[in-house]
Amino acid sequence: MKKKDIKVLVVDDEVAFANTLSQRLQMRELKVGTAYNGEEALSKLKDEEPDVMVLDLKMPGLHGMEVLREIRKAYPDIQVIILTGHGTDKDAEEAKRLGGFDFLRKPADIDHLEHKIRKAFQEKLERTMTAIAFAEAGEFDTARKIIKEEDEEQ
Amino acid sequence: MEHKSEENLRLLQLEFVGKILAGFTHDIKNYIAIIKESAGLIEDIIKIEKTPKNKSEQYIEIIRSIEEQIQKTNDLFRYLNRFAHRMDTQLAAFNINESLEELFALIQRVANQKKITLARDFQRDIPSVYSNPSIFQFLIFSFLEERMTNLDKNSIITVKTGIKGSSVGVNIFSEGVLRVGQDVQAMIPPEIRTFALQKLTGDISESNGNILITLPVSR
Repeated sequence: MKKKDIKVLVVDDEVAFANTLSQRLQMRELKVGTAYNGEEALSKLKDEEPDVMVLDLKMPGLHGMEVLREIRKAYPDIQVIILTGHGTDKDAEEAKRLGGFDFLRKPADIDHLEHKIRKAFQEKLERTMTAIAFAEAGEFDTARKIIKEEDEEQ
Repeated sequence: MEHKSEENLRLLQLEFVGKILAGFTHDIKNYIAIIKESAGLIEDIIKIEKTPKNKSEQYIEIIRSIEEQIQKTNDLFRYLNRFAHRMDTQLAAFNINESLEELFALIQRVANQKKITLARDFQRDIPSVYSNPSIFQFLIFSFLEERMTNLDKNSIITVKTGIKGSSVGVNIFSEGVLRVGQDVQAMIPPEIRTFALQKLTGDISESNGNILITLPVSR
């Protein structure tokens, strides 16, 4: 898999922050999109699902925690990393409980964030591979049965 | 309107100050994050573009200096943000070492000006206490401020924490010369002491310029 195949969506109401962070992540060979509030982020997911979402918490309109809840219900494959300047320990616990991949505080080190994004993607891949393996195991049993039946016919 | 005593109104006023400060520090942290990313972006561009080596090294050194200042500013605002959140609730479980570290960070500048060393002797893995986090910091600050005013240059104030039975204790003592005319016994103003005792769910004892505060461990 090529590096650029990892799709990231940066969601932050601070336009300057979202744009600069996106540029820096793109320079690190990630395919990055931006959304400037929670509603826009959820709307963008209908067109294309990112692998990883970098999500702010305190935004006008839909709060980041609400966005995370929605994602867990409708898009369980997306990995969510919270990146906030307002995070309390309580928020971190809540994000973990809701299935967030990680919780980082602003300003975060870009290399650290990139590492977390790749780790989140890796975990997503492993989850998908496990699901495929299970599915294939089921098919294999079925196939074997068919082969056996065919053998019996011969 | 429900009648509030002056004391309750003062506490509500304190919560108000805390809320405003917490929101304000949040905004500042956002701006710091933008400055940091912008500085980082310039560094990324310099690394990618074919800038002559001697020039790129010079630019990166300048950016590093900016990033260093950003980090220091961010640390201060992180402490200030936590400090503001201490006023959120009147009683809560909190870690005494973290609370003291935060207070030290915020008053270090005053100590530096007076050339007084604030020494820490914190017991590791100390259990959380259940008390009033904001009043606790206020009490410690009142004592440290009094000591810093009355002690001569090059004095040392040590803050020690440790477990004492089912409580956590904070012991503060100083080494140095008191300024001429200062009373070694004069410590926490009596009205602050009485107020703190009502709110802290713990105990305060003072003798010979030392103070010991004990607070119950959180269950």
